[in-house]
Amino acid sequence: MSESAIEIAIETTALTKRYAGLSVVRAVSIRLPQGSKTALLGANGAGKTTLLGMLTTLITPSEGEARIAGFRLADNHAAMRRRIGVLAHSPMLYEELTPLENLAFFARLYGVEDREARCEELLRLVGLWLRRHEPVAVLSRGYHQRLALARAIVHRPDVLLLDEPETGLDGEAVALLDELVLCAPGLTVLAATHRHDRIGEWAGGTVVLERGAVVEDTASRPVEPAATDEAATPEPAWSAT
Amino acid sequence: MSAPGHAIDPPRRGPRDALSALLARVYALRWDVLPPLTGVAMMAMIVGALIVAPRELIEGELQRIMYIHVPSANAFYLAFFIVFVASLLLLWTRDMRWDAVARGAATVGVLFTGLTLATGAIWGKPIWGVWWTWDARLTSTLILFLIYSGYLLARSTSDVNDEQTARFSAVYAILGFLDIPIIIMSVRWWRTLHPQPIVFRGLERPAMPMEMFVVLLTGMAAILLLTLWFIVLRTEAERLAQRTESLRAAIDRREAP
Amino acid sequence: MVGDVNAALAVVLKDLRLTWRDRAGWLSAASFAAISVLIYSFAFDLATSDVRPLLPGVLWVTFLFAGVIASGQSFQRESEQGTFDALLLAPVSPSVLYFGKVVSNLIALLVMEVALLLLATILFDTMLITAELVLIVVIGTIGYVSLTTLLSTMGSRLRSRTMLLPVLALPLLVPMLIAAVRATGASLGEPSGSAPWTLLLVVFALWSAAGAALLFPSVVER
Repeated sequence: MSESAIEIAIETTALTKRYAGLSVVRAVSIRLPQGSKTALLGANGAGKTTLLGMLTTLITPSEGEARIAGFRLADNHAAMRRRIGVLAHSPMLYEELTPLENLAFFARLYGVEDREARCEELLRLVGLWLRRHEPVAVLSRGYHQRLALARAIVHRPDVLLLDEPETGLDGEAVALLDELVLCAPGLTVLAATHRHDRIGEWAGGTVVLERGAVVEDTASRPVEPAATDEAATPEPAWSAT
Repeated sequence: MSAPGHAIDPPRRGPRDALSALLARVYALRWDVLPPLTGVAMMAMIVGALIVAPRELIEGELQRIMYIHVPSANAFYLAFFIVFVASLLLLWTRDMRWDAVARGAATVGVLFTGLTLATGAIWGKPIWGVWWTWDARLTSTLILFLIYSGYLLARSTSDVNDEQTARFSAVYAILGFLDIPIIIMSVRWWRTLHPQPIVFRGLERPAMPMEMFVVLLTGMAAILLLTLWFIVLRTEAERLAQRTESLRAAIDRREAP
Repeated sequence: MVGDVNAALAVVLKDLRLTWRDRAGWLSAASFAAISVLIYSFAFDLATSDVRPLLPGVLWVTFLFAGVIASGQSFQRESEQGTFDALLLAPVSPSVLYFGKVVSNLIALLVMEVALLLLATILFDTMLITAELVLIVVIGTIGYVSLTTLLSTMGSRLRSRTMLLPVLALPLLVPMLIAAVRATGASLGEPSGSAPWTLLLVVFALWSAAGAALLFPSVVER
C-alpha cells in the first residue's frame, strides 16, 4: 500500500449529526492535509457550528467517523484534545477573573509546561499584558476575542478549529489572527467564516455546507487511487440532497 | 422508524440476529396474549381474594386488601427495574427508543407505587386510627415514589425527543435505582429506634394458611401481567409521541423559509 | 496521571478563587443557613428546652438545603458563561473535572458548615466543635456533595432548575440524612440505637462518589 507523502490532519467519513431525527450535519466527508488552511462556508443553520462541534469532541456524532491528528474521534482520547485548539462562537472566559488568571488557569488545565512564560508571551502579543490584572468583565468584546484567541493557542496545538474568528476584531486584531493562526505555517486550520472578502488572504481551499451536506469542496485531498479499491475522490460540485 | 444511533457497521448474521428475530416475533403477539391472559388472571385474583380466601382472624375483611397491596409492591419494583435497565441501555446505545421504554415503565411504576401507598393507608387507618404510620416499608415506598416522580418531572421539562434531557434523566434513574437498597436499609434501621407493632399482619408467610398463599400468588401473577401490559401500552404511546414530535419538527423545518 | 492531578488542582484553585471573587452566591447560601438555624430556634423553642435531641436534625437539614442550593449555583455560572465547554476541551477525562468540582464545592461547604457549628455552639451552649462531630460532618458532606455536584451539572438544560435540584437530590439523600443525624446525635450522647450509623455514612459517601464519578462522562456528552 503506497502511503501518501502528505499527512492528513483532519479526515471525516460520512460524519452525521441528527437531533430528533432531523439531520443537522449530513454524511460529511472531508480530507484536509496537514498545514492546510480551509474556510468552512455556508448560510446560517447550514451545520458549520455543529460540524466543528463534532470535531472538537464537544458533540458526539450520530453516525460516521473522523480522525484528527492521527487519533480516532470515537476513542475520545484526551491526548487528541491536546493537539486541538478551539476558538468558539462565545469566548468562554471567566468574567470575574483577570486575563492573566484566565490564561494561566487554562494553561495549567491543558498541561502547558512553561506556563508563566507562555502566558506573558501571549498576553503581550494580543495586547493584554498591561491590562492583565483587570477583570475580564470590563474588557470590550474585541479584547474578549483576543484573549480567547490566546487561549486557543496557549498549548501550542497543531490543529485549529475556529468558528467565525473575526467577529468583534478590529483591523489590528485581525492581523494578529492572521499572524498567529490563519497564515501561520505548520498549523492545520479549519475556520467557519462569513468574511468571504478575506478568504483569498489565508484560505487554501473551501468547504461549502448547505443544509448539512457538502455542496462544494476544493480543500479535500482525494484518497490516492492505489491505496483503496473504490475511488473516493470528492467531486467539485454535488447536488444538494 | 429511524435507525439506531450506531456508527455504520456491516450487518452481522448469527445467534444475535436469531435472538432478536425471536424476540420480535414474541413481541408481535403481545395484543393477542396479554389482554386475555391478564383478564383471566385478574378475574381469578378477584374471585380468590373476595371469596376463596379465608377471613383473617384479627383484622377481618379488611385484610383482603393485602391481595392488592403486596402484588402492587412487586409491580413497582419490576417497573423500576425496567426503568433502570432501559436507562443503562439508553446511555449505552444512544437509541431514543429506550427513553420511551424508561418513561413508560416509570409512569406505570409511579402508578403502582401510589397504589401501594393508598392501599397501605386504607389498610392501616381502621387498625391504627391514622392514615400514615411511618412503617418502614411504606416510608421507603414513599421515597421511591418521590424519586421516580422526580424522574418524570425532570424528563418532562424538555420535549420527548431531547436526547440530552433523556440522558440526564437516565442517569438520575440509575442513581435512584442503585439507591433503593440503601434507602430501604436506612429507613428500616431508623424505624428500629421506635419499634412499632406490625400493621400488616397478613404478610407473615409462615403463619399464612395455604388458601391465602395460593390466592396471594394468583394476585402476584395477575398484577404482574397487568403491569407488563400497562408498560407495553405506555411505552408504545411514548414512542408514538416521539415520532409525532419529530414529524412535526420536520414539517416545520420544511415550511420555514 | 500527573497531568490529571494538575488539571484537577487547577480546577479547584480556580473555583476557590472564583468563590472568593464572586462571594455573593456563597455568602447568600451561608446567610440562608444562619437564618435557618435562628428560625428553627424560634419555631422549636430551642432556647428553653433541652436542645440536644433536636440539634442534629436542625443542623443537617440546614446543611443539606444550603449545600444543595449553593452547589447548584456554582455550576450555573459555568454554564451561563459557556466556560463548561472550555473545561471539557481540556486534555483530561471528564471525571478529573468532576473530581475537581467536587473538591472545590466540598471545601467551600465545609467552611460554611464549620462556621455554622460555631454559631450553634454559641447559641445553644453545646460544644459542637469536637473531632468526632467534625469527622461526621466531613463524611456526610462528601456523601451529599458528590451527588449534588453531579445533579447540578445535569441541571444546565432543565428549565426551572433551581427548584428542581432540591426536589431531585433530597430523596436520594434520605439515607445520608438519617445516618448523619443519628451519628451526630450519638456523638452528643443522644440514644441513637445500635445501628452502625457512621459506617452507613461512609458507605453512602463511597457509593455516591463512585456512582457519580462513573456516570459523569455520560452526563456531559452531547
